[in-house]
Formats: sequence, C-alpha cells, structure tokens
Amino acid sequence: MEEVKNNTGQNLGIAALITAILTFVLAVIPCVGLIAIIPGIIAIVLASVGLSHAARNDSPKGVLIAGLIIAIIASLISFSQVFVAGKIAQKADNWPDKIENIVNDVQENVVKDLEDANVSIKIESNGEKVEINTNTDKKDREQTLEDLEKGGTPEKDTVITGK
Amino acid sequence: MKSGIIIKNEPYLILNIVFAGVIMLIMLYSGIFSPDTGDYPVVCIHEKLTGQPCASCGLSHSFSLILRGRINDAYMWNENGLRVFIFFAAQFLFRIFFSWYYIKNQDSQRQLISLDISGSIVIFLIAFMPFIESIFKWL
Repeated sequence: MEEVKNNTGQNLGIAALITAILTFVLAVIPCVGLIAIIPGIIAIVLASVGLSHAARNDSPKGVLIAGLIIAIIASLISFSQVFVAGKIAQKADNWPDKIENIVNDVQENVVKDLEDANVSIKIESNGEKVEINTNTDKKDREQTLEDLEKGGTPEKDTVITGK
Repeated sequence: MKSGIIIKNEPYLILNIVFAGVIMLIMLYSGIFSPDTGDYPVVCIHEKLTGQPCASCGLSHSFSLILRGRINDAYMWNENGLRVFIFFAAQFLFRIFFSWYYIKNQDSQRQLISLDISGSIVIFLIAFMPFIESIFKWL
C-alpha cells in the first residue's frame, strides 16, 4: 500500500525557498546587499510558519529547513553589510577634514617658498633692456618698508636699464 | 520497488528548479536592459549611502555585455563580471544536469547531493571571493 504524505506547509516552504535563494543572490552582491535583509526576514518568517505547520501535521520538512538555513545565512551576510556601510560612511565623514588639512599644508608651503624667493624680471624690446631684481624675503620687505617711510630708497631691489 | 518521483516531495529538485528560475531571471534582466542606453533600474545602494563605489558596481552592464559577446567591454565595466557570469551559467547547467541525474539514479542521490553541495561551495567561493573580501575588509 502506498504511503500518502501530508504536504502541509510545503507551499510555504517553496515560497520561503524562492525568497531565500533570491536573498542569497542579492546579499553576496555588495551593490544591493543592504536591501537583501528585507526578503531575508520574509523568508525566515515563511519558513518558520511552514515548519510549525509541518510539525503539527507531521509532514515533510526538507524544503522548509533548506529555506530557513539559506535565509538565515543570506540575512547574516546582508546584515554584515549594514555595518560595512556604517564603517565606510564613518570614514568618509573624516575625509573632508583630512583634505582640508592637506590643502592648508600645501598652501602654507607655497607661501613660505614665495616669501624667500628671489624674483628677477627681464624685459627686452627693440634692443632696449629692462631688468628688475627683487626678493620677497619677509625681513627684507620690512626693512624696505621702513626705508621708504624714512624717505630712503630700497637698497636690495635694483632696476637696470640699458641697450 | 521504488515508486516514481513526485517533485513536491523532493526538496533537492524544488531547490534546483527555483535556483535555475532565479538564474533565468538574472539572464533576462541582463538581456532586456541595454548597456548602451544604461537604463538599468537597479542602482548601487552602497554608493548612494557611502559615496564610494563598491566591488560589484558595473556588474549589470558587464553581464549585458557578456550576453552580447562584448567580453572586453564587459571586463572594463567590472573585472569580476566574467567569473560571476560563468558561476551563474555553470550553476544553471548543473541544476539541469543534477536534476536529471537525481531522477535517473535514485540509488546514489545522497552522494550526488554531497558532491553538488561541496562543488557549488567551492565554485561560489572562487567566483565571489572579491565581493566577499570587499564586504569584510571594512569590518
């Protein structure tokens, strides 16, 4: 005599398995891994309800257990990505400050280099030549300013004209 | 004497059918949306939230290009696209072959399931390792 099996919970099991496999495929792809938690929870609920029905009616549990295991693993992978996104966002919050510090450092270095630079400008036109030499050393500039205030002429800056 | 197989009573066959269906849906998605127009409805949530592109960005474009035979372009969109595509394509063929073998050889079903599980885990890890690494490197 052929044994007749009670299939209570089987439809729930198949639904849980479909959702669980979809969840797993989504969970392992970082782009959409975060949203996999939603079908993951749905699959766990479906499988759990199916298992309780199956336990009451002594029907097969294979599909339900498979769905539940896959859903739990997929949900854990998806849940771990919530932490990953949080970590990245936390690090990204510090990046503007780091970039600002780097820009400030570069700016300071450029200004410092320019302060100590000697500048020489040569202009030649139709055989006439004008050469202006100066330096941008901060102390020299202060001295020049004092000399100018006293009515003197700057000593270090030179203007040479000639043919 | 064993009676014929009723699919509803065989979790392994149901799992195979469901997985093959999911893979067909993935292929359909890749085939319908064109990489030239870039009208993919799914956007990278990871990039939206963090501002940083993730390891799977460009995977949809990559799959579509592989289906259209443009392997070099696919590699440019996502360097892991080809190996993930091969995983899904192989799994689709495995589901069909293993289901057929399961029905034909009822005496070696347990061995077949063990072989399938171990083999699938290995090729899954090979195909998805860059993604798994990218998920867990931040933890």
